[in-house]
Amino acid sequence: MTAESAIAEPPAVMTAVAPRRRRARLPLLNLAGAAIVSAAVLYVSFFPVAGLPALGAAFNPTTGAWTMAADAQVTDRMLHLGGLQQPVRVVLEKDGTAHVTARTDHDLFVATGYVHAKFRLFQMDLLRRQGAGRLSEIVGKVALDTDRFELQLGLLRTAQLEWAQLPASDPLRDALLAYAQGVNDRITEAESTHQLDAMFTLLGYHPQPWTPVDSLLVKGDMTQTLNFTDTPLVMALLNKSLGTDLASEWFPILPPNQQAPYDPGPYGKVEPPQGIATMTAMTDAQSASAQAVYERLAALPAGLVSKGGASNNWAVAGAKSASGGALLAGDPHLHLTLPAIWFQLTQESPGFHTSGVSIPGTPGVLIGHNQHIAWSLTDAQNQQTFFYMEKEDSKTHPGMYFWNGAWRKYITVSYQIPVLGGATEHVTVKWSVHGPVISERGQTTSVWWSGNLPSQDLGVLMNAGRASNWQEFREALRGWYSPTHNFVYADDKGNIGLISAGYYPQVAKGQPWMPMPGTGEYDVTGTIPYDDIPQAYNPPDGIIWSANQRQVTSSYPYYIGTASNFFDPGYRANEIHRVLSQPGKLSASDMQALQTDTHDFLASEIVPVLLQSLSKEQLTPQESTVVQLLRNWDFRMEINSSAATIWSYFYGWYVYEVFNPWWKSRAVPVEMQEISDTLDQDLEAWTLHDPSNRAFSAPGVGSRSAADAQRAAFHKMIPQIAKDLGKDPNSWTWGRVHLRVLENLAEVKGLNYGPRPDRGDGRTPLAAGDYPSTHGPSWRMVVDWGSGTFQGIYPGGQSENPASDWYTDRVDTWFAGRLNPMLTAEQAAAAGGIRTWDMRP
Amino acid sequence: MRRYVAILLAALLALAGVLLGLWWAPFVIGVALGALDRRARIVVPAGAAIGLVAWAIPLAAVHIQYGLGPTTQSLAAIMGFDHQRAVPVVVTLLVGTLLGATGAWLGGAAHSVAPRRSG
Repeated sequence: MTAESAIAEPPAVMTAVAPRRRRARLPLLNLAGAAIVSAAVLYVSFFPVAGLPALGAAFNPTTGAWTMAADAQVTDRMLHLGGLQQPVRVVLEKDGTAHVTARTDHDLFVATGYVHAKFRLFQMDLLRRQGAGRLSEIVGKVALDTDRFELQLGLLRTAQLEWAQLPASDPLRDALLAYAQGVNDRITEAESTHQLDAMFTLLGYHPQPWTPVDSLLVKGDMTQTLNFTDTPLVMALLNKSLGTDLASEWFPILPPNQQAPYDPGPYGKVEPPQGIATMTAMTDAQSASAQAVYERLAALPAGLVSKGGASNNWAVAGAKSASGGALLAGDPHLHLTLPAIWFQLTQESPGFHTSGVSIPGTPGVLIGHNQHIAWSLTDAQNQQTFFYMEKEDSKTHPGMYFWNGAWRKYITVSYQIPVLGGATEHVTVKWSVHGPVISERGQTTSVWWSGNLPSQDLGVLMNAGRASNWQEFREALRGWYSPTHNFVYADDKGNIGLISAGYYPQVAKGQPWMPMPGTGEYDVTGTIPYDDIPQAYNPPDGIIWSANQRQVTSSYPYYIGTASNFFDPGYRANEIHRVLSQPGKLSASDMQALQTDTHDFLASEIVPVLLQSLSKEQLTPQESTVVQLLRNWDFRMEINSSAATIWSYFYGWYVYEVFNPWWKSRAVPVEMQEISDTLDQDLEAWTLHDPSNRAFSAPGVGSRSAADAQRAAFHKMIPQIAKDLGKDPNSWTWGRVHLRVLENLAEVKGLNYGPRPDRGDGRTPLAAGDYPSTHGPSWRMVVDWGSGTFQGIYPGGQSENPASDWYTDRVDTWFAGRLNPMLTAEQAAAAGGIRTWDMRP
Repeated sequence: MRRYVAILLAALLALAGVLLGLWWAPFVIGVALGALDRRARIVVPAGAAIGLVAWAIPLAAVHIQYGLGPTTQSLAAIMGFDHQRAVPVVVTLLVGTLLGATGAWLGGAAHSVAPRRSG
């Protein structure tokens, strides 16, 4: 027998014994198999695996994500809240607008906290986590860079300082505590009834109790989004690459184009600004350091660094109003998300009678009206971020920096960042006198940011909402720090006003628009006196407006920032000013129309020049059709307009045609898109007033004029549009290329709204920049004190629950440019389709 | 007959557990069922049915009370299946079924290796 045959034919004794052993082993194998499969099923049911939620916890029908179906139903209720002192009534309109009526101010904030948390708890949790650097705890290491940066920038530290410094007698203290109590009442209720927002269930975590510091963090998030900028770093890179002469000419302090400041002066102080130097060249070390910080900030997710603002507001005095009462309109432009940043609310208590929009996570109304005054705000845009390059000597003075003639130790603060599915991250942040160190690549760079000045801005807002006239309103805003805002005002006596309240950092000397030495001579020394900040009250022409433009003329005696990406190019402000300045009376419907105005001011200036430049040009039939479309155009960026598309393509190509050769020849490390606002202004000014500017004769293109560059851009853009949209220019409608998307806050694309064709562009009062546009009018409000009508709308809905009717129910109204009436609590209670919550202690 | 009654009682117990928020009840009930009857060809399908019923009935109740349309749509979107609204329902029923089936399998398998009482 060979070995092979021995294997193939086992001996008879073996064949008799083996089945019995196998039978004996089978139950054990069966048990092992059952145990392994059961363990696997239980594991994936209880714990998240490979990006999936814990399937059992998340999908079971009684406590899992399916509870969003019940949560979407809002009914009349009687409920008990631990923090209440007296009964409170909440009336919810059929669109979810909440009217809170309380007998004490304390109860008002308890109930507000409850209502916010009922509809927006996940959003609130995300906002506080962003500010506190705790996003990694719930989403894993994908958010680690954001968390590190937020802790480095200091939002948590500042919020903690603000809370610690809040006097025990300050009404804001009680408001924040009461608000936190209300939020926590809702968290307790939601957990006991398994009604937490489904995102908590799917992400597998429970919200921690809300604290006053969390509310201050939410406010810090907004400050960061609106005024933490990298512009000085950009300026440093432009200076180094383009050279000092071109950089100072193209990126000046004062805007190169014609703008419409709302405060024309005269100004209190007559001396020109002291100690502000002209631009000088940077060293290689300085520029390398700026490059390192710039790259660090550029790698952060969108929204953490402000990239220019866009908001409108204006007011019309009673004397110029058709109703005889003052008019006010406001539409702050922000990232358009679902849920929206806003929650519509009316607050009625002994101390408060406010109606408008609030930010979930904070206790008061931010934009709205009371019985006597209305207000809205736009970002004031002044420079509030300064970079300092610290002087160090690691050999003789390790861990120290040189400031005001002495070596000083950095303060260090340590944080831990829990990371889902990973090890806890330890972060140590160094602070100099200027602020946190944000880069140690090359030269150590710290940042002075006004958002890090502890301030009680939420209390200021609450006081402003209690004002009954301009003097009280203006006085309340004296304590407002950051972000600086243009607060527009209109009252029931026909008065109007605008004040750009906030902190205006002043430096002793140096070039504040670029990184500065941190040795002490260039430090921020204080702010502009309150009486000298931009402001106006009852101007003679009866109109007042802001749209992020520079608020003052060239004779304003203080440095407040450069034209480069601090302030808006001014096209929206110019258009608003143009419309409001026309003869005749204005009505609330005129305000509404202006909010959705699609007239592109820049186009109205440039297109006639372009047509003139093309007048003697040999054109193809297709180009002739394009010219004809432009000739017949009313400069409105409407969905069905082909000329709007042509204009948009043209100006992009024109900017590219003029500046790209410079960018290539000088190896500029900043994307043109990053500073397009300033390039737009430059090109506008040169096209209209300096068509032979040296910028048109870039290296490699030879000597040419503005008209030459326009013709070149025109001929190059036609094939590009034809490639994108087809051969027939009549079919190149704006709605084909210009879409709007409302993005889900948790970045779930399937829960976005859109893309949907929309009007406007980045320069029209109906702001809609970018492709697709995700930024724009986040809340439109129109007040007419003459007729006593108050109207508003925001895109989205009151609920963050995507299964709720109140997730997107306001979107169509918003797209159509219509407004909803802002009812009083009494009017709401008498309206149909309401829900009532009776809250008891 | 007794077998069917036992399965029915087990299903009711599992359902009650799920309604009380103990969503893992089908697994425990499945284990108990398997401990009573070790025949896999009977207890595993029975456990699966118990799990399915214990999760399907509360889901149906939610649908009757509130309607599941917007919720299935939202959950499908969150899961990345924007246009396949059935996916969350299928996943839900599958998880319930698996809990019951694996519990019963485990109980039956454990029963099989347990020492039998003599005499």
